Amino acid sequence: MTLHSEKLSPPPATSGVRWWGNSFVRVILGRVGQLAVLLWGVSTLLFFLLRFAGDPALIMAGDNATSEFVDEIRVQYGLDRPLFVQYFFFLWHAAKLDFGYSLASGLPSLDLVLAQLPWTIKLSGLAIMLNLLVAIPLGAWLGQAPERRTRNAVSSLVFILQGTPGFVTGLLLIQFFAVKLGLFPSIGSEGTLSWVLPTLTLTAFLAPRLTRVLASNVAEAMQTDFVRTARAAGASESQVLVRHALPNALLGTAALAGSQLSYLLSGAIITETIFAWPGLGLLLIDSVRTLDFPVVQASVFVVACFVFFVNTSVEMLFRILDPRLKQRTK
Amino acid sequence: MTVELDSTIGRMIRRRGAYANSSTKFKVGSCIGALLVLLAAGNQLFGSAGEVDIASKRLPPLTDGHLLGTDHLGRDLLSRLLASMGWSFSIALLAAVISLTIGTTVGVLAASSTKIGRTILTRYIDLSISFPELILAVTIIAVIGRGFLPLTLTLGFVSWPHLARVVYAQTLGLWTREFVLAAKLSGVRPMRIILSHILPGLRNTLLVMFAFIFADLLVAESGLSFLGIGALLGDPSLGNMLADGRRFIFSSSLLMLLPCIAVILAVTSANLIGDGLSSRSKNATR
Repeated sequence: MTLHSEKLSPPPATSGVRWWGNSFVRVILGRVGQLAVLLWGVSTLLFFLLRFAGDPALIMAGDNATSEFVDEIRVQYGLDRPLFVQYFFFLWHAAKLDFGYSLASGLPSLDLVLAQLPWTIKLSGLAIMLNLLVAIPLGAWLGQAPERRTRNAVSSLVFILQGTPGFVTGLLLIQFFAVKLGLFPSIGSEGTLSWVLPTLTLTAFLAPRLTRVLASNVAEAMQTDFVRTARAAGASESQVLVRHALPNALLGTAALAGSQLSYLLSGAIITETIFAWPGLGLLLIDSVRTLDFPVVQASVFVVACFVFFVNTSVEMLFRILDPRLKQRTK
Repeated sequence: MTVELDSTIGRMIRRRGAYANSSTKFKVGSCIGALLVLLAAGNQLFGSAGEVDIASKRLPPLTDGHLLGTDHLGRDLLSRLLASMGWSFSIALLAAVISLTIGTTVGVLAASSTKIGRTILTRYIDLSISFPELILAVTIIAVIGRGFLPLTLTLGFVSWPHLARVVYAQTLGLWTREFVLAAKLSGVRPMRIILSHILPGLRNTLLVMFAFIFADLLVAESGLSFLGIGALLGDPSLGNMLADGRRFIFSSSLLMLLPCIAVILAVTSANLIGDGLSSRSKNATR
């Protein structure tokens, strides 16, 4: 008995109360520090990778440039200075959000990236909404349905869908809906109908995984004491599921949120390329193909910031919703 | 008390059910997987990669000794499919080995080192997980070029942080187990403990993770090659075949469906093996 009462007593309040508090402020400050480290790390990696790849002056000058012209470029861009000076120069410019001009179009590379970003965000937002609309009901149903033939068939289907790469789903969707039935355009971004297939494809990257994790969380929650108590208090099965098991299972997917975002962005690259969607992913792939390094750097920088802000806000949201997380991650 | 007993029995029954299920999963997965690997390996040893022969391009199935017909360059589709499977499987396998090696090393080191080392390594792992793998891979490939070796190295290099996190958590748990404590107290050096107690304790987890990483990397390889930034143009790769299939999507559906089916089968069988292994080892340790 003494053991139990010890467990129930509140945790000692030594660690929580400090001058900066245990609150969001501290967490946010910590995350800003992490962002700085992430951006520094990514930029540094890119800088040295690019230097390792070859002489940027040669790439900029093009194939049939005279050696005087190459030297001129070298002096103009400061490439004749020692590597470390160049590195700090690069960091200084990156800190001022100056990534130089696109080698292909001559426009500032950050502007190019920011012009394409809304397309990616809109498509991703749609896909996330559809993902939640599909995965939450399906996961909840799979988690508590008895082991009958329908349930097993659906769960096998979800398993196979999980093993189907998003771009394969996308190709099959094009094959069926665009080529065979001619219902939707197979590429491009004009008109409402052109949103359908990219959104479905991107959802196919996310939904199976979320469904499966949610289903196993719901199944676990259905075995807990609070569900048994709710049943004993006379709650119906649907009440138990919707009011007790599902919220708990949803909070359990917090850990998945970060990797879902990473899947989403990886998926966005491929989806945008399949459908020639004018977003960040297409820009990144195009600039990689044409070795347009300033644009690659600017895209990666923007992606890192984007990932960081979304992850942080999701984490904050879950911390507000789930008091258990506050205790765990002091 | 009765409630306690009830739930224990219930758990046992469920566990038995899960066990049967997991073992079927493992069997089905390994059968399909073994079949695919045997086909690919057999073709590698005795078959061809499909010779280019413009004269006999785009033949329908079952003509001139071409079981599945030929593609737009006159290559036998069946041979090309099997060769692509071999190529893609090899990359995914080698990259998974690289990933497993780096991930295990970093994870074990992080869990076994001092507080500072642990903080730095876990922070690093967390940061790299938050960054999309594919974007990192695309960027690295832009620099070091395409082809078999660059692709393998890149995929191995970008995919280890997930594994490192799992290994880290597991190793932390192992360090508190009695047999490890006993070894520690009797003065066995940390390196020796890692080699003879920690690594064997990680074996099951590593097997499971290997299956999942293989599946992920197969998807990544075919995805990158599909985008035209993975395999070189003529390489037999499932991604290249898919890209060809996309080009001729309006005239031939077979060209696209074949690699689609191959990818789905391979990834699903690896997932089945991983799932089966994971619930089996969970049951064994519980």
